[in-house]
Amino acid sequence: MSSEYEPKVLMFTCNWCSYAAADLAGTSRMKTPHNIRIVRVMCSGRVDPQFIMEAFAQGADGVIVSGCHPGDCHYMEGNYKALRRMLLLRKLLEQLGIEPERLRLEWISASEARKFVEITTDTVEKLRKLGPLKPRLDYVRKIMEEVVK
Amino acid sequence: MRDKDVRIGVYICHCGTNIAGIVDVEEVARYASSIPGVVVARHYTFMCSETGQNMIKDDIKNLKLNGVVVAACSPALHEVTFKNAVKEAGLNPYLFEMVNIREHCSWTHTDRRLATEKAKDLVRMAIAKVKELEPLEEVKAEVVNSVLVVGSGVAGLSAALTLARAGLTVYIIDKRPVLGGFVTRLVNIAPIGIRGREFVKPMIDELVEMPNVKVLTNAEVISVEGGVGNFKVRIRQRPTYISDLCTLCGYCEKACPIEVPNEYEGKLTMRKAIYLPFKEAYPPKYVIDENACTKCGKCIDACPVKAIDLSVKERYIDLNVGAIIIAVGHEPYEPDKGEFGYGLTRRVITSLQLERLLDEEGPTGGRFIIDGKVPKTIVFISCVGSLIGNKTTNACSRRCCSTITYDTLKILSKNPDSHIYILYRDIRTYGFEEELYWKALENGVVFVKFEEPPKVEVMGDKIMVYVREATINKNIVIPADLVVLFVGMTPSNAGEIVRIFKLSRTADGFIREAHLKLRPAETPTEGIFLAGAAAGPKGVMESVIHGAAAASKALALLLNKKYILREPLVAKVDEELCSGCLICVGMCPFNAISVKYVGERRVATVNPLLCMGCGTCAAACPSGAMEHNGFKDKQILAQVRAFAGVVV
Amino acid sequence: MEGAKLGEVAVVGGGIAGIQAALDLADTEFKVYLIERSPSIGGRMAQLDKTFPTLDCASCILTPKMAEVLRKDNIELLTLAEVVDVIKNGNKFKLTIKQRPRYVDTNKCTGCGTCVEKCTARGKLGAPDEFNEGLSTRTAVYIPFPQAVPKKAVIDPNICLRLRYKRGCGICEKVCPANAINFNDTERILNLTVDAVIVATGYKFIDPRLPELSIYGYGKYPEVYTNIEFERILDARGPTGGALIKKDGSHPERIVFIQCVGSRHYKINPYCSAYCCMASIKQAILAKEHEPKVDVTILYMDIRAYGKGFQDFYNRAENEYGIRFIKGRTAGITEDPSKKKLIVKYEDVMRGTIETMETDMVVLALGIVPNIPSFLNRLGVVRNGRVITRPGDPISTYVDGIFVIGATLNPTDIPDAVLQGSAAAARVTEHVLRRKTPFEVMRS
Repeated sequence: MSSEYEPKVLMFTCNWCSYAAADLAGTSRMKTPHNIRIVRVMCSGRVDPQFIMEAFAQGADGVIVSGCHPGDCHYMEGNYKALRRMLLLRKLLEQLGIEPERLRLEWISASEARKFVEITTDTVEKLRKLGPLKPRLDYVRKIMEEVVK
Repeated sequence: MRDKDVRIGVYICHCGTNIAGIVDVEEVARYASSIPGVVVARHYTFMCSETGQNMIKDDIKNLKLNGVVVAACSPALHEVTFKNAVKEAGLNPYLFEMVNIREHCSWTHTDRRLATEKAKDLVRMAIAKVKELEPLEEVKAEVVNSVLVVGSGVAGLSAALTLARAGLTVYIIDKRPVLGGFVTRLVNIAPIGIRGREFVKPMIDELVEMPNVKVLTNAEVISVEGGVGNFKVRIRQRPTYISDLCTLCGYCEKACPIEVPNEYEGKLTMRKAIYLPFKEAYPPKYVIDENACTKCGKCIDACPVKAIDLSVKERYIDLNVGAIIIAVGHEPYEPDKGEFGYGLTRRVITSLQLERLLDEEGPTGGRFIIDGKVPKTIVFISCVGSLIGNKTTNACSRRCCSTITYDTLKILSKNPDSHIYILYRDIRTYGFEEELYWKALENGVVFVKFEEPPKVEVMGDKIMVYVREATINKNIVIPADLVVLFVGMTPSNAGEIVRIFKLSRTADGFIREAHLKLRPAETPTEGIFLAGAAAGPKGVMESVIHGAAAASKALALLLNKKYILREPLVAKVDEELCSGCLICVGMCPFNAISVKYVGERRVATVNPLLCMGCGTCAAACPSGAMEHNGFKDKQILAQVRAFAGVVV
Repeated sequence: MEGAKLGEVAVVGGGIAGIQAALDLADTEFKVYLIERSPSIGGRMAQLDKTFPTLDCASCILTPKMAEVLRKDNIELLTLAEVVDVIKNGNKFKLTIKQRPRYVDTNKCTGCGTCVEKCTARGKLGAPDEFNEGLSTRTAVYIPFPQAVPKKAVIDPNICLRLRYKRGCGICEKVCPANAINFNDTERILNLTVDAVIVATGYKFIDPRLPELSIYGYGKYPEVYTNIEFERILDARGPTGGALIKKDGSHPERIVFIQCVGSRHYKINPYCSAYCCMASIKQAILAKEHEPKVDVTILYMDIRAYGKGFQDFYNRAENEYGIRFIKGRTAGITEDPSKKKLIVKYEDVMRGTIETMETDMVVLALGIVPNIPSFLNRLGVVRNGRVITRPGDPISTYVDGIFVIGATLNPTDIPDAVLQGSAAAARVTEHVLRRKTPFEVMRS
């Protein structure tokens, strides 16, 4: 693995807690890894597993889904739904040969800028160790093609 | 792609040096202008300033833009500012997307090259999303300027009065035959010392005189449809059998052969099946206890004004209201027979029975006597049904400690020789009411702290109370002449209310508010508000405030308003694609999705007024029929693809 | 009638009660003047890390309300402003307001914070940071806290070198990219005429340095904190960045909370401050969440878990978090300098013994007193240091059109403050509508 490898991470945050935590990290001038790109949705419950699959297919090395803490959801229970979906999706990823730890679900409240920094930093570090997803995906695709044949 | 003729303007803010100091804004603008569909890309010191906004407005007009991207600070700060600018220039404001390159980029990174790359990525993702955006119109719905208040206790009356005084049409209903609710049974409201019945009387008097108020007693809601601004409510009103001709002469009562315990007097006395609930009750007429009445007809013969008609049937009333206030109150805990000796002797009573014994209008004319004798040693047991007892809410009933101390002072003022013991877990006379506790202490009331619930033994004439005093850690026995069980508040009919209004309950069984801290007078369903002890134990004054607060929410919604506007960022069904599986219905926390039929075909449909726009239904829909406006699958997927550099 | 203003209202105090009143009034189409003494609205709640019993992050739930205040066209926010007088004039009230200079043009300032970074009056030349209860310092030009509304800089004239010496420094003026600094700003006297006034000026903490409270050693021992100071230590935005550490940087092994400091006290406050039992339980739980190994004791008189969800919270603190509850009053606090430990001497009521306990930190649950503005005294609605309201309507004073809410009335927790805020808005609507057009509004 090249030492210059920099993972690309897509992060889905809910509008109310986690997006605000990322804002607070900025306002507090905390340093976060530059590898994260945030897509804002209203609730972590909006995150459709196909978004995540698409992200991996398009070359994301990792995906973080982040919402309000259990019980704090702006929409009562959207984060629980996200939890259920992500648990299933991680199983599916495993079966596809993608390391499930490439998908993280986290609860970050609006005041937890530090947690935002910690989680994003930790994710990038872990992904650096895992290496890029692309070769693995190509391998999976090849096997699939053989299976189809 | 939305349209072949995409014309997007991209605006990069320097925010002084806040962004430009780290991000190469010129480079970002240059990059943006290279993306297909981008007609113009500019950068400026402060996009949020008048000059910056005018730049966008002019471009929209001159270059006929049909999409705008602003890369600046967090949307939390200026999304509304730019949306308004876009709107003022005549472009649909939902064709705008904001990119956060300050908080999420320049402020959190130090490497100029990497920060600039990130800003470019984020701008590219936003452009991809804007290409897929569609114009949206605010959801506009007409409102009905009337409110239904369910429950006529202190909270309901308070809410109804406020609404009626402000000029809205108010329907106030109660399942009981008279208005006033629980408080009418209290002899004195701590700490203001006004009789409960007299406290609500001026409220009721004012209310029933108002032309814009309609009162329905013996009435219950049986179904609710529609949503905020326009609820359709069906009410069942059980017959009262007695018309307004009633002059309160009382001949019917004398003629009635049926006797049952009188709940109003805490079952300390008996009443007839036809009876007057209490002095000066409203409506001012006799009522018939349906469960007790045998329809013998003796009252009909006795009535000199022919006010009684036993053949009346229940009726259904349909109302159309803009908002609903739930103020169904609480029920006092009723101890089981034998629980702390209750029901085994007349000298173990509940706090409500005590209220009646202290009332000059009560069964003893206010003389504090039991079985003809003045009780000398009185033991109060607190928290019955709240924290101790056979069935508990496991929650504090909030008002009992203040009321106990207040009641002991009243007893001592009537019978200064009384020995009073209060058996308690914690004394919770919060706020200024602590002073009542001090007064009770100064007047010689003995406070006994227990950890394990006390035991009450009834042996013929004698009542023995056994308790382990926790502060001296000794078992003590108190021979008592009277034991008063201070009963807690339990939810009143909350299960049924929750089912009809599609609400939910908290662990203590009371109705759940939208947010315990900041939205205590609202329910999660917009347009349905909450007041009084229905939401949890409350005192009389607290219920007055809660009622007014719920009314305030309804006023903000309906007063002088013809319609309400809602953000269109809600869910929407493509009926062609919908397979009618209805997975979405179960996902929605706001009951905004229902079933409808297109010809034979079953499809889901979203009420845009109930939908709060979380999008969880869209994530769950297996056929892609459910879409979340502003966050549609194709819009988010465009962002995801652009993340990897794919620009369509 | 659509869009027409029903009347004009002054809301005095921008804490959660005042914010709620202002928002409800704005939604009901009143013109609202929200008058706040400090540079930002938010009040005490803005300083909280979490709230009981839901452990909701306070800023997560408060910030959206604060932002809404700014967005409402019909709310005019006056910060750094104090109402000096209110005179009833027929059906109207004439307010005299003194507004201190901000020295920053709020129309130009974007809240970017460049000036704060460059300000030379920092550290020893700075001032105690009010938001962090003096546990950290702030610069002369500063933004009160990250979520401040309005998020605009303000200059403290007492420490600003330029304003004190009338020359020199001025670096903020030079670096401000928006040219927002204005050293020539002056105090203003504003006059308003309104239909009603809502007073929500909140509360003051009992001074822990009072001689009667000297037994607690506050100010003498650095590891004795007030509960609001401790809240700042728990907060990720606080002086330690949310790390539960002592002033020497080490982690405490034990924390003792002392309840009823200045409350239920025959010489200071005879009454109960209502919020503190739950606040201490919350802080105890948060301390445990920060440092699961920390040993936490609460010394109490009675645990007043009276509100919705409180009892359950109390039970969880005891059973799930292992927080020790001891009924008893504290006799005094001393220090063992050799061990660097505080020694709490207290009566264990349940055992009938006098005990001592070594601890690293002590948190004092301070009592509170209503913060009653002097104009209420002049309006004659205050007796013995308390606001007098009508029996049966605890927020309406005997002066029609003057309403008092929140902790200005009596100790109040957040939900009750919110309810009173909304209720006051309703009272204003009643008051104005009934007076103006009694017939027109009586439509069926």
